[in-house]
Amino acid sequence: MVTLRQAAVKQLRNRVIRRHGRDSLPISINRRRIYILPTRFGFMLGAILAAMLIAGLNYNSNLALAFAFLMSSMALVTMHHCNRNMLRLSVDATTEVDAFAGREAMLEFELRNGSRIDRRDIEVRCMGGAGMESVAAGESATIEVIAPVAQRGVTRISQFELRTRYPFGWFYSWTYVQGSITVYVAPAPHGSRVLPSGSAQGTGSHSDARGDEDFSGLRAYEPGVPLKHMAWKVLARGGEPVVRSYSSLAAQPEWLNWSMLDGLDTEARLSQLCLWVLESDAAQRPYGLRIPGKELAPSGGAAHRFACLRALAAFGVAEP
Amino acid sequence: MITDRVTYEQLLGISGCLGLALLAHITTLPLWVPGIVVACGIIRLSLARVGRSSPPGSVLVTVAVLVVPLLLVRFHTFNGLVAGSALLSVAAGLKLLETRTRRDIYIITLIIYFVSLAALLQGDSFWLLAYLIGVCWLTTATLLRLTSSGPAPGWRRSLRYGGRVLAQALPLALVFWLLFPRFAGPLWQIPNDSQIPASGLSDTMSPGDITQLALSDEVAFRVRFEAATPPNRERYWRGPVLDVFDGHTWSRSPTTQGPPALKPLGPGYKYTVMMEPHRHRWIFMLDWPSSWNLPRAELDGDYTLTQIDPLSRPVDVVGASYTQVQATEALSSGTRSRDLRLPRDRNPRTMQLARELRSAHADDMEFVQAVLAMFRQQPFFYTLNPPKLSDDSVDEFLFDTKRGFCGHYASAFAALARAAGIPARVVTGYQGGTLNPYGDYWILRQSDAHAWNEVWIEGRGWVRIDPTAAIAPQRVERGLADVAGTEESLASAWQLRTRWFSGMRLRFDMVKQLWRERILDFDQDSQRKLLEFLKIPEPDGQKLVMVLAVAMSLVLGWLTWQVRRELERSSKDETVRAYARLCAKLAAAGIARLPHEGAEAYALRVARLRPDLAGTVMNLCRQYSFLRYAAPTTSVTLGQFQAAVRAFRPKASAAPKASA
Repeated sequence: MVTLRQAAVKQLRNRVIRRHGRDSLPISINRRRIYILPTRFGFMLGAILAAMLIAGLNYNSNLALAFAFLMSSMALVTMHHCNRNMLRLSVDATTEVDAFAGREAMLEFELRNGSRIDRRDIEVRCMGGAGMESVAAGESATIEVIAPVAQRGVTRISQFELRTRYPFGWFYSWTYVQGSITVYVAPAPHGSRVLPSGSAQGTGSHSDARGDEDFSGLRAYEPGVPLKHMAWKVLARGGEPVVRSYSSLAAQPEWLNWSMLDGLDTEARLSQLCLWVLESDAAQRPYGLRIPGKELAPSGGAAHRFACLRALAAFGVAEP
Repeated sequence: MITDRVTYEQLLGISGCLGLALLAHITTLPLWVPGIVVACGIIRLSLARVGRSSPPGSVLVTVAVLVVPLLLVRFHTFNGLVAGSALLSVAAGLKLLETRTRRDIYIITLIIYFVSLAALLQGDSFWLLAYLIGVCWLTTATLLRLTSSGPAPGWRRSLRYGGRVLAQALPLALVFWLLFPRFAGPLWQIPNDSQIPASGLSDTMSPGDITQLALSDEVAFRVRFEAATPPNRERYWRGPVLDVFDGHTWSRSPTTQGPPALKPLGPGYKYTVMMEPHRHRWIFMLDWPSSWNLPRAELDGDYTLTQIDPLSRPVDVVGASYTQVQATEALSSGTRSRDLRLPRDRNPRTMQLARELRSAHADDMEFVQAVLAMFRQQPFFYTLNPPKLSDDSVDEFLFDTKRGFCGHYASAFAALARAAGIPARVVTGYQGGTLNPYGDYWILRQSDAHAWNEVWIEGRGWVRIDPTAAIAPQRVERGLADVAGTEESLASAWQLRTRWFSGMRLRFDMVKQLWRERILDFDQDSQRKLLEFLKIPEPDGQKLVMVLAVAMSLVLGWLTWQVRRELERSSKDETVRAYARLCAKLAAAGIARLPHEGAEAYALRVARLRPDLAGTVMNLCRQYSFLRYAAPTTSVTLGQFQAAVRAFRPKASAAPKASA
């Protein structure tokens, strides 16, 4: 039963891909792509309605028939309402998502409701995760789908599902959106090797005492910078948000090199590099990444961090 | 979402709905059944109140094991409406007790729907239907509060949404109801377990029995004559015929023969009798019935139309009768001896009187006239409040009290005739009736119950004699106020005398009758007439289904439009679009809005650059701000704003004055 259903769903999904092709997000959901079926509870209601009808006919009771017909008509109306709940809803998604293996990816979808009615209980299903939200008339809402990711790599999602069982849970209507989302799953950051530091090539130890670092100047604020590095006084004077940067070891950029990690297997090396990237980033030191087939010149900041993490995620897998 | 635990509020809502649905069964179910359900609800709610979940399964099993045999003892079966409803109610109660998740509540809503339907199978009033639709509305609104992500919508909102779905369902339900093919008979035998007690006439008659009926306003049946209406003196509605007398009580003997053949002497009458369920097997037909359309009923040897099953539901009988008939065959010896039998040693003075009268009047008809003359000339009184009689009731009535109701006279007359050797019997039924001028039909109430006699006259057959009619009119105490000094009867007497009130009552009865004829009795025949009205030639079942399909697609089309109509752009979007149009017009006039510029700032800049447009633009921008950001109750409407933007035509300024 379940496998039969799964097979049918799979067939439908493929058919949808063939029929609609790729969607360029954002997309407004038209009625041709909304499917609807009774829920299990809806099937039970159907059985009850049939029993009502037979009882009414058998007892020749026009009042019972009136009640049975009214309930059946309500079910039919509800079908329309369930379908409408999704109709002409505009859907957008964040197309590039970063995550770490073994943790969860947070996929973000945005629903815009340009109509005069509220859309309630819209569920987005993607990568085995689901999130639900209501969108008031003329408003938009962000739905976050938390999906667990186990494996390092680059996952291309070509389809996600929108589903609703509003209003009464008798029917559920759903649609598939062929929007592509790329999930970069960086390796799980772990490892035991110490972060290399250029100045201490001989000593092999690096200082983690930030108090020793020398103040070297101000630079533009970037998200992710520790709050204690914020130059609040500058901000209070009405200037741009800036952060203090420290020059202690930052002067020489550090190369995080694949070849430093001899003796580890591929995944362990990637994990170690990932940890180093995060550590270097947290320490606000410029760093470069060198892995076979890819080299990222030393730099700093969030964009650089993401680039490095994505490079690690994509290592050895077909680049999207 | 569906496995979420239920909250106290949700439980309260669903318990309320279940209670309201059970209220519709309160008259038929034994009180302890809803009692159990209410107890279950209270226990579950108080558990939820203190934040505890449902009691363990063992408690539920114990309750079920205790209650189900109790139900079986009470009903002997679960195959039947009342027993089935009782079982379903108890099941709903137990389900309520064990409710943990939303799924359990879904199951309870289904039970509520079915329990409501079961109530409608037993009742037939408009109010019941309206009430149960209300319950279903409330239940559906409860469902709406269950399925929500985030905080549940408020009751008013849920009810409004449920009400809208209900309203949109009405046209479709009407089409279904009108056009869904009806069957002629039941699909299978309906188990008869109705709890209504028998009412109206019974098949025995003791002195004073009918008096109790005479005080009742309850409708026994209604009659609509097709063409002519027989005169009042011929409107005798035949019920059980009583031919066994024990000196005090008349009762029926089982008849074995079929009805003897009759020859009509006068005109026939066609009519429809609309019986109220009285839990007896007989159906009141105009004397003497010749045809009827009830397959499971036939005339017994005494010409009473009798059904196989007791009447537990309202029944309509289309029949025909001849009020004047003649027997074509002689009285069988068995019937003759039965209809002459009198209890020995009872009512001796009556026997003596009959012998004296008989010696003076040898002819049967003359004897009858002599008895009627006696009733007329001697001080016999007709009263609704006769004195109580002992065992020799006829003696006591004829010689001592001389006050009686129709039953006393019929009983005495039959005893006298039998004593004189004339076969005689008592016929009970109804006489006369009230015409409802608003609906053109006759209402026969219990107060119209009557008893009369039939005597066998050679060459004529059974002849109807109504001894009560022989009493001198001045000795008839008709008014109900004479009956008893109780306050209620005085009040009802006052009401009866009030013309306005009786008019209202008749109008009300007319509405009830219309409800019955148009709604409750809607059947194949009505559907055929409906198709004829729609000018469809030769209507039959197939065409009915075709019309149903067409009507359904029309209504569904309307529904689709109706439901999608609300998907039009939101007013907010419209506001933004109108504002964009305004900006475009101003840009064409040479002043484009800067991306960062708000409406007010833009208006100020326009006013500075083009003083000629200042007033209009400032005003429009303010309106836009109101519509977009203010509370919905501001003075300007979207339509006004759109119209103003459409009307706004700025001229491009030839020389930009403010360029300096």
